Amino acid sequence: MKMTAAQKIHTQPDMAQITLENVTVEFTSRALTVKAVDSISLDIRQGEFVALVGPSGCGKSTALNMIAGLLKPSAGSVTYAGAPVAGPNTRVGYMTQKDTLLPWRTVEDNIAIAFELRARKAEAANARERVREMIELVGLAGFERHYPAELSGGMRKRAALARMLIYEPETLLLDEPFGALDAQLRLVMQQELLRLVERRKMTVVLVTHDLEEAVALADRVVVFTSRPGRIRMMRDIDFARPRVPEKLRFTPEFGAICEELWRELREEVAKSVAHHA
Amino acid sequence: MTFASPSAGPARERRLWLNRSMLAVALLALWEAGGRFGPERWISRPSAIVARIGDWLADDLMMHLGVTMTEIVVGLGIGLPLGIVLGLLLGRSPRAARVFRPFIVTLNSLPIVALAPLLIMWFGLGLMPKIVLVAFVSFLLLFFNTFSGARAVDEEQIDTLTLMGATGTEKFIKVVLPSCTSWIMAGIKNALPYALIGAVIGEMMLSRAGLGHLITRSAGQFDMTGLYAALFVLMLLGALFNEFANRIEKWLLRWRPAQTKV
Repeated sequence: MKMTAAQKIHTQPDMAQITLENVTVEFTSRALTVKAVDSISLDIRQGEFVALVGPSGCGKSTALNMIAGLLKPSAGSVTYAGAPVAGPNTRVGYMTQKDTLLPWRTVEDNIAIAFELRARKAEAANARERVREMIELVGLAGFERHYPAELSGGMRKRAALARMLIYEPETLLLDEPFGALDAQLRLVMQQELLRLVERRKMTVVLVTHDLEEAVALADRVVVFTSRPGRIRMMRDIDFARPRVPEKLRFTPEFGAICEELWRELREEVAKSVAHHA
Repeated sequence: MTFASPSAGPARERRLWLNRSMLAVALLALWEAGGRFGPERWISRPSAIVARIGDWLADDLMMHLGVTMTEIVVGLGIGLPLGIVLGLLLGRSPRAARVFRPFIVTLNSLPIVALAPLLIMWFGLGLMPKIVLVAFVSFLLLFFNTFSGARAVDEEQIDTLTLMGATGTEKFIKVVLPSCTSWIMAGIKNALPYALIGAVIGEMMLSRAGLGHLITRSAGQFDMTGLYAALFVLMLLGALFNEFANRIEKWLLRWRPAQTKV
């Protein structure tokens, strides 16, 4: 396996849970071929929390789709737990940007759906109890019997989060999970996510537009360039765990890291805006 | 300042119904007067029609109604499930869809009514040709609706279940089928009036019983009152079908937000 110097620091090869190696993705529509991701290499250790930031359309979501096995790279390879990802990766929980709650199911039936599947029947012991706990955790108590159409955007996000967390997948792929939430709720949910992830030692790949969120939650922040997406830089975030994001935010180191990352990011954002103009 | 208070709801509803019944009574009175003082031979009279329906009830109306209902119910019983199953199958397998679709589209461009003489020659004067006609019409309608529904399923919802480890069958039962429900219901609501049309037209061409037969029999005798009576029974039947379908739809699609409910 070939690695660049920057990555070696983070990689203990036997521990790598997710490996992207020289991954390129091209989308072809009619005669037009667009390169979304351009030879990205990235190793994510087991139990690591990695945040991907970058301008819109830089291929962050594409990276998640590949790890989930929903998309094949045009070139390069994606490996999960030592084996190439050849199809849907059922060891990950994926919360996409668009909410995919089933509109004909109530909140509690949506959240409980994993336990109805034969593949997860074994984990379904006291499912009712866990559904109740999870609903409480994401602050949807009282809305158990509501249909998604009756909820606000933020509530639907929380229901989708609960649906994924309830079966405790070993790896979480989160695409803007807190985007639709108001600032206070966002903080609460970030804290809850950290609590769960730190306790369960889950591996997390988080895509976010919010630099502060990335720095507060992640062990490492990866900054993408504007399209075609490449990795511009990586930055380790060494705050001790367990973390309390709301306190972390007010420390000088936190501000300094955000500023450092923002300097990198703003150039890319400016570039992508120039492209669109 | 006045507010449209929600408690005014039932009162407004009552007034609406009052207005409607007043209009109905006025129209019927006008018709009745027109019949009494005008060309009764052509337009008959509501009171005569009601009397005729009363006579028929004592005679063979229920038999004719039963024949038509049997044709419709059996025809739908064959056509609806076939259309739904084939629509789902082809809708979920693009390869098969590419092969079969042009055939079904071509079949659909055939005015179905034109099939009636052929079916009568094949199957005779009994219930069979009408049942086939009803089955055929309802099959096509359900096929096209279900097919579109199966293709419109949100693939990301399916992906979500795939990643949870769902099997193909589980994804079909938990995502594809429920998400097609609104399309299937729309198809059924379309198919009911067409089933009625199919059965009646089949009966009008050649038959010894059924509501369509009542119409041709009355027309053949220049019996306007009988004609209107038969039409009235048909109209009532159609309205009942529609109401029935609406109730089922409302229950099946209770998760839909109120604004998009029609």
